[in-house]
Amino acid sequence: MKDRRLSGHLLVFAAMLLIPAVVHDTFLLRVFTEAVMWIGLAVTFDVLAGYTGYLNFGHSAFFGIGAYITAILMVRAGWHFAPAAALGGAAAGLGALIAGFPTLRLRGAYFAIATWALARAIQQGVLMMDITGGPDGMRLPALLSPGFFYYIMLGVVGVTFFAYWFLLERAPFGLKLKAVREDEQGAEALGLNPTKLKIQAFVLSAVPTGIIGGVFAYWVTFIDPASTLGDLVSDQALVMVVFGGMGTLTGPVIGAVLIFTFKTVFWAYLSDYEVLYLIILGGVIAASVVFLPDGVLGVLPQRRKGVEDHA
Amino acid sequence: MELLPQALVDGIMLGAIYIIIAIAFSLVYGVMHVIDFAVGEWIMLGAFGGYYLFQWTRIEPLLLLPAVFVVFAAIGYPLQPLIHRVLSGRRGNPLLMGLVFTFGLSLMFRGLAQTFFGFYSLSIPSRFSNGSFFFQNGGLSVTISSVRLTGLVYALVITGILNYLLKHTDFGLGVRALAQNRDAAGLMGVNNKRTSAYVYAIYVGISAMTGVLIGMILSLSAKMGPDYTTFAFFVVVLAGMGYLAGVPAAAFLLGIIQSFFLIYLDPGYTLLAVFVLLYTILLVSPRGLFGKGV
Amino acid sequence: MPEPILEVENLTKNFGGLTAVNEVSFRVHPREIVGLIGPNGAGKTTLFNVVSGYYAPSRGKVLFHGKDISGKPPYVLAGRGIGRTFQVVKPFPGLSVLENIIIASFLRHPKRVRAEEHAWKVLEFTELADRAHQSAASLTLAGRKRLEIGKALALEPTFLLLDEVVAGLNPTEVDHTIELILKLRDQGITILIVEHIMRVIMRISDRLVVLNFGQKIAEGPPEEVAKDPGVVEAYLGVEKA
Repeated sequence: MKDRRLSGHLLVFAAMLLIPAVVHDTFLLRVFTEAVMWIGLAVTFDVLAGYTGYLNFGHSAFFGIGAYITAILMVRAGWHFAPAAALGGAAAGLGALIAGFPTLRLRGAYFAIATWALARAIQQGVLMMDITGGPDGMRLPALLSPGFFYYIMLGVVGVTFFAYWFLLERAPFGLKLKAVREDEQGAEALGLNPTKLKIQAFVLSAVPTGIIGGVFAYWVTFIDPASTLGDLVSDQALVMVVFGGMGTLTGPVIGAVLIFTFKTVFWAYLSDYEVLYLIILGGVIAASVVFLPDGVLGVLPQRRKGVEDHA
Repeated sequence: MELLPQALVDGIMLGAIYIIIAIAFSLVYGVMHVIDFAVGEWIMLGAFGGYYLFQWTRIEPLLLLPAVFVVFAAIGYPLQPLIHRVLSGRRGNPLLMGLVFTFGLSLMFRGLAQTFFGFYSLSIPSRFSNGSFFFQNGGLSVTISSVRLTGLVYALVITGILNYLLKHTDFGLGVRALAQNRDAAGLMGVNNKRTSAYVYAIYVGISAMTGVLIGMILSLSAKMGPDYTTFAFFVVVLAGMGYLAGVPAAAFLLGIIQSFFLIYLDPGYTLLAVFVLLYTILLVSPRGLFGKGV
Repeated sequence: MPEPILEVENLTKNFGGLTAVNEVSFRVHPREIVGLIGPNGAGKTTLFNVVSGYYAPSRGKVLFHGKDISGKPPYVLAGRGIGRTFQVVKPFPGLSVLENIIIASFLRHPKRVRAEEHAWKVLEFTELADRAHQSAASLTLAGRKRLEIGKALALEPTFLLLDEVVAGLNPTEVDHTIELILKLRDQGITILIVEHIMRVIMRISDRLVVLNFGQKIAEGPPEEVAKDPGVVEAYLGVEKA
């Protein structure tokens, strides 16, 4: 059962590898690249939200840290892209470690607001600093190769997805996280250290998010606090996960694809109504919680049986 | 240094407003077990409610407070059953679902406000807006603006009313019983649903009224909500979660930090400073400033 | 007498002004079943929480195999061989019965496959094997109490704290659970048990420790304790009335 699911994932991944061979339109490839990016951001969000039960409303902080570290190293220190992005991921992980230590001891809901406040604080800090270019943002060396960025993004997100699949669905780690999610005190009696597990999950979520941020920075060649650290990054990741189905790896992927498609269509026709998008996002989040407690994944009948089998 | 007493006095008067926000926020958490992410948006909507009500009636905004309360309490009341439904859902972690739900609401409110109220900063004119008292003692001088003083008086009045309501009425007894133990309160004949709905209505009403005062003292804009959500959260965590007696000190501290940044440093760093302070305190004492939270 | 496995020495636990456990001392020897009894609010569960690491003692200490364990967190104590159940059972409701036990098995069997093998043994032993794939939330109260014991057992403890594992069960289920507890003792596990139902505690305990208002008021074999006038007044008298 589990192996078949892995082969399903691998099949989808293989199909995605072929996309640049079929799609030659630059704009379309750009859209696919961004779709892959959002899959990555949704899946990394879900490690903490779905598996551990802690909502990180400041997911954008790690994305932004990765983007800015990569940009600063490339622009100000002349680094090559790959080590810069890797360090961006490491910096995001370190950020999670430092931020997680006191805040993960808070009750779930307070953690959510604490991370949200952290992201806002970091955004403000970046706005005020010189090295980041403040509100003017930073321009990175341009590399005009849409195929390259599609593969880099897919590589990073793919490695992340399969590493998560192994750690969360196969290795003991995933079950231990779920135990903490379900009952922290009960988990402690069974020899699990909840704080340690939560911090591990937080770092595991932050590192790839930072790397994705780095790829994003190099790809779009221009970053500013709003595009990398703004609320929208966290808000969209949240809506994708809640809408798709929390606590699974497939749910966030489905949610990311659906919401991203909607977003793309919306921006194509209604780009003047940015605020309307915010209202719709909010509405989808609130309505999903009330009417789709298990997300879209929960209404797919044959999947539900699989979940019972497995979860 | 001559500005130091001024910063302290300003900060304390501003802090008084935060006490009200934090108390209402804690009350809802205690009774309904929901952390309302939309608290800042209620404040924002209340501020605009007061602003337009004033534009329309031209009555002194302070006198409009009861009307704002009634209107927003009426908006909050029917929302409670929806939140209740989210919290009692079959999903594993109802607390988080409540938070996600109110987060969704807050996005909608903010989006709607930006659509209808625009992006500009406004203020609510009051006949107290320009008046001030000036105190001088040797080299030290302090100006107390009458509108800030009004805020302090407002905070005292609301605290007094809430205190009376909670400690000396049947409704208050029900609320306290509910906060202590849901099942036992039910056995005692407390109508769980109705009490929760009243508490939520009162909370929304109070937050909205407080918004009007903030609109008078500082300013209002469709984007102000998140700041006040952060502040409400800051005060509650700093006080120690569930430790109401710690709220005033935490609220004053926040007000003072804010006025210091306004007077001496760059107000753009306020949020950063607030977060660093919060982080440090949580690191040293996870149960708040007084170590008495849960 | 062999070396005691657990020594509680002058243990006191305050909550603000309230003293829940007051200067309590007692010992538990290997392969003993010791019953901890007392009226509601006597401090039994608080004592359990201190011994299993959920609370740090205000004064006094707890020794396990001669080593001071006071204030060590629960997950460290689980590693040292202390298993516990909760009065309010704590299954992981969204997970299956099997997964619940696997999680506990990770402590001694870090590899997933080995943990699962071990979990099946525990499921057989606790007679939950036929419900392995159900969600823990779907179990009956008796089933959940059994799962609670199963999870503690999967830790392969040398010392087990059982908090009201028979309360709320029907007579057949009670007998069933008693059998299980005696089997555990025969396997060499030492047990400290809190229980309200007197006929159960009298039947299985080698010794009783009686608490009242946080203080130890008696200790000894069940028959003797039952005759102790202080105990009769504080506890049994009330119970019979």
